[in-house]
Amino acid sequence: MPELPIHAQPLPSHGRTRAFAVPLVLFVLALALWQGPWQFHSPVPEATVVPAWAIDPTPVRRPKLRPQIQLAGFSYTCSDCHRFFSSPPETIRSLTQHRNVELKHGINTRCFNCHHLTNRDALVDDWGREIPYDQPQLVCAKCHGPVYRDWLHGSHGRTNGYWDLTRGPQERRKCIECHDPHVPPFPPMPPAPPPSTLRMGEQGDGHHDDAVNPLRLRPSVTHEPAENPTVPDGGTEAEEYVP
Amino acid sequence: MNAGERSDAGSSPTGANTSGPRLTRRGFLRKGAAVAAGASAAAAALSPLKDLAPEDVPSLAQFLQKHYKEMTPPEKEAVLNRITREVKDRYGVAATVTDPLPLTGVEFVYALNISRCIGCRKCVHACVAENNQSRAPEMQYIRVLQMEKGSIDLERSAHHYDPPLVPDEASYYLPVQCHQCAKPPCVKVCPVEATWQEPDGITVIDYDWCIGCRYCEAACPYWARRFNFTAPQVPADKLNPDLGYLSNRPRPKGVMEKCTYCLHRTRRGRMPACVEVCPTGSRKFGNVLDPDSEVAYILRHKRVFILKQDVGTLPRFFYYFDERGSRYHEPIAPVLPEEGA
Repeated sequence: MPELPIHAQPLPSHGRTRAFAVPLVLFVLALALWQGPWQFHSPVPEATVVPAWAIDPTPVRRPKLRPQIQLAGFSYTCSDCHRFFSSPPETIRSLTQHRNVELKHGINTRCFNCHHLTNRDALVDDWGREIPYDQPQLVCAKCHGPVYRDWLHGSHGRTNGYWDLTRGPQERRKCIECHDPHVPPFPPMPPAPPPSTLRMGEQGDGHHDDAVNPLRLRPSVTHEPAENPTVPDGGTEAEEYVP
Repeated sequence: MNAGERSDAGSSPTGANTSGPRLTRRGFLRKGAAVAAGASAAAAALSPLKDLAPEDVPSLAQFLQKHYKEMTPPEKEAVLNRITREVKDRYGVAATVTDPLPLTGVEFVYALNISRCIGCRKCVHACVAENNQSRAPEMQYIRVLQMEKGSIDLERSAHHYDPPLVPDEASYYLPVQCHQCAKPPCVKVCPVEATWQEPDGITVIDYDWCIGCRYCEAACPYWARRFNFTAPQVPADKLNPDLGYLSNRPRPKGVMEKCTYCLHRTRRGRMPACVEVCPTGSRKFGNVLDPDSEVAYILRHKRVFILKQDVGTLPRFFYYFDERGSRYHEPIAPVLPEEGA
């Protein structure tokens, strides 16, 4: 029997398998690549909804800076009433008017430490002279000297507008645009949404056994119960806190 | 091996068997199938290209664009016009792209009062809105760290805190962003000089020159640099149209970005967005070379510290604090005489 040329020889059994297998594998590969059978789970979370107040530069308070009061739809100056009704200089008593005013200013419990006794359209300085309502920082400076000094130099308080005064105006916020003069501590506020960036991990509490994990750390506050690490809203634990 | 195949194979090459390998029907089908399958596999492997948007393909002008520092003013003008066009095409927003230059006699410095910061994170989101950072995935230049009071252990800080109200009684807050160092390690490691320090102290990035190697991210001791792992997503209605070439113009995928002290604002005399929004006035910004500026006063008169002083980066970002007793949750307790004394 003459030997057949190489291409005409019958395939060995493994060669025949390969002849089918190679195109089959390639076709399956093509189909798989085209269809993308592996579901791609993107680590990118949905965009967080940021409330509008989070980027609002408006100061927390909008005081009138005028001796003005709204009653029954009308606007009065303080002296409209107080020129007829004088108050006793001692104000440690239950008020009959202005009962909405809550005075929590530490040991400053007298109305006339700040308000003028005879001219109710003005505030009062240490010598009994009048301070206009639009200069409340002069009243605060009577007690809060270091803060007033810092405010004068810009290290305390808000500065808005232009840092370069040759190019535009600058706005210095006065004390009572942040602090309620009757309840002066800066009011607590809800925080804006926490980060859910790719490198800072997901939101929420981490699950770890106090190992150092820079992406997921909770404050290790030992004097508070672990299930309630932050008690800012005046609960009992906040009162028990001793610095 | 069956007889039909054997006879089939034997019958075809009977005519000329001297000219080496010849095309047989079986061989043709076999090779043809392999080639067709291989070609379709290659096409399938390249199929992600079909999702490539036309605006993702760099134009020739973009491809041949020079380094920022090598551009002549007319070339820069052309680039700014091209970016304006691209923003118009992509977002439908008529933006103004400018390139404000550093001011002479100005060195920007930031000061932050940690006695007054309440950790409300408004600065974080104002920064995102001003600088057109990606909303999904989120990118934020400022991290507000909730720190244990009495400690400055950064590794025990938290930035996912989300109580109903801040500040927390037992914590203080340490916002961290780019410190605009005078000896910036991020600039030192950049292999292509895509980032550099400007004369007014701001370290900037040419987003068209960055190759995305992330060396600078690794070099920064303050974790202030961010990488665009995906194409940044900014809703068109949220895009800030006041764009700067070196600051807040839309960035492509695969480049670094960072805080620039809002240089498109600050080089025009305005305050950065984080300063404008801070409700407590903890954030202070200005020209330290001006002796009458707020920051110059703070550096002269307040107790100031810098973060990670030991790494020797000479930051232009200073933390300061007030005298004891002025802290909002640190009341001055009256000193009462002891019983029986």
